[in-house]
Amino acid sequence: MHIRFEQVVPRYLEEEKVKRSEIWNKTIDIAPGEHLHIVAPSGSGKTSLMHFLYGLRSDYSGRILFDNQDIKAFDAEQVAANRTRRTSVIFQDLRLFPNHTVWQNIEVKRVLEPYHEAETIKEMAGHLGIAGKLEKPLHTCSYGEQQRIAIIRALQQPFELLLMDEPFSHLDEANRQKAMNLMAGEARKRNATLVLADLKKIDYFDADRIIHL
Amino acid sequence: MHKTNGKQYTKVKFKDIAAFLDRSGNRSSRWFSYAGLSIGVLLLLCAVQMYINISDLLRDKNPRKNGYDFISVTKTVTNETMGRDNRFTEQDVEEIRRQPFIQGAAPLIANQFRAKASAGNIIPFSTDLFLEAIQEDFIDTVPEGFNWKAGQQDLPIIFSSDYLEMYNVFAPSQGLPQLSGETLGSINIIVECHGPLGKQMYRGHIVALTDRINSILVPESFLRWANKAYGESEQEPFARVYIKTEDANNPDLLSFLEQKNYHVNKDKTKFGRIKQVLQAVVSGLGLFAVLVILLAMMLFSFYLQLMIARSRENLQLLLTLGYSPAWLSQTVSRRWIPAYTIIIASALIAASMVQWGFHYFSLDGRTSMSAFLHPVVWLLALLIWVLCILINTRMIRKLLYKIR
Repeated sequence: MHIRFEQVVPRYLEEEKVKRSEIWNKTIDIAPGEHLHIVAPSGSGKTSLMHFLYGLRSDYSGRILFDNQDIKAFDAEQVAANRTRRTSVIFQDLRLFPNHTVWQNIEVKRVLEPYHEAETIKEMAGHLGIAGKLEKPLHTCSYGEQQRIAIIRALQQPFELLLMDEPFSHLDEANRQKAMNLMAGEARKRNATLVLADLKKIDYFDADRIIHL
Repeated sequence: MHKTNGKQYTKVKFKDIAAFLDRSGNRSSRWFSYAGLSIGVLLLLCAVQMYINISDLLRDKNPRKNGYDFISVTKTVTNETMGRDNRFTEQDVEEIRRQPFIQGAAPLIANQFRAKASAGNIIPFSTDLFLEAIQEDFIDTVPEGFNWKAGQQDLPIIFSSDYLEMYNVFAPSQGLPQLSGETLGSINIIVECHGPLGKQMYRGHIVALTDRINSILVPESFLRWANKAYGESEQEPFARVYIKTEDANNPDLLSFLEQKNYHVNKDKTKFGRIKQVLQAVVSGLGLFAVLVILLAMMLFSFYLQLMIARSRENLQLLLTLGYSPAWLSQTVSRRWIPAYTIIIASALIAASMVQWGFHYFSLDGRTSMSAFLHPVVWLLALLIWVLCILINTRMIRKLLYKIR
């Protein structure tokens, strides 16, 4: 999927921050399969950018184009189809169902457009060290465990673009590496574009390009 | 971008998301709405079926000419109107003709001169007479030869069967012979017409008896001529008007007659009055049923709103994950299709039993009325079912789009 930013500016962002940014109010192209690393300090609009790309918010000027189509023009059903088949996300705030089990949290995403068999959930959970948590209610999991659950959930669908908003903030070094490898491997299988936004540069993310927001 | 619709997710089923909907709360309002809907639908179906039954049962079954009823209409004479002219003008007749439930109206023209009748030497009687005429298609028995041309001495008469019956009642006490209908035809009646220029005699003979019109009828051509020749004016108002209608019990006809203060034979329209009252009662019941259904639907909408409000965060997250709002609303609303189907099917079965019971127990199965529900009632049930599902789907869709 080819992504293009055309003079995108969040409506609420201070002019000073817009001027300093390498994305806001610029024209940027992201090639299919590119690994883009966005490094941004807190409050620079990193999460907003992820939400714009995922179609959660549209309070910006300018245009974001997916294969030359303005994503603001998508109707509710097109947005849903995009989220099911083309764009996956790991939210900074995770957005999990707190009162359901870990398995339910992942399975509800997988059944929507299954890319993997249900068994794969167990394999991934084992790989990230949360296999024993699958049948437990989500609220019994630590934030770090929940982060890994959100990562596994994001990998259950087909995607051409994977958005990651500070996906490792609560993970230890070993788990960060494992999670990164898992995501990179899954992206390779799909030849997908990766956009990873974080407060500082993440060394083990094999980025084709780094942009400062 | 691939455009999707509600059929997008062939693999996802309601059970996959059922755990994310909080359906526990306010069960009583759901069951109350089901009960209300059942009662409302049953009442409505029964009311419509009863309306149809009443129309069928109280349709005038009297022998009718070409499927029409003929009713004599006069103006009601009351103490207030007694001194006035209570006859119909041409305008009155025109107004009657214009009514959609009246297929024709004809005034009875009366003689405007003095007429006398005697039977010569056979039956020794002589009496002043009134003659009337009406257009032929309003008379039930019009034999060939019921016409008159200027200069003709023979005068054909159509005589009321009721008058013959009355004559036969008092004839013996007056020393007169009782007469059969056939004998009556053979009697020569001398009809004397008195005018300013003297009197003229005609040979009257009864050519037919009529059950419909209580009068002594002569050809219209004769009376129009005679009124001109012996009377002072031909264009006099009419005391009686006959109306031709498809249904003498049509409530609209009765309302019109009542409103105009016209008098009709109550016997002709008595079923109409009963029908009017019964249909009003049944219509009231139908309206009440519609109200009950609306209230039940409102109660159900409160239940849905509450369910969606309780599941708001989960639904929002499902939409964020990529669940289509169209698919969600269709899938969630489809959960209630079995409930609606059961409710409406039960109401149909109960209404069928009521109709069957009405036919066999109240009417003893004797009438031609069907023991089964009328097709209109089935169609109505289908319509309610479709409406319930549509309203439900739209309501859920609206609520989901609101939280998106």
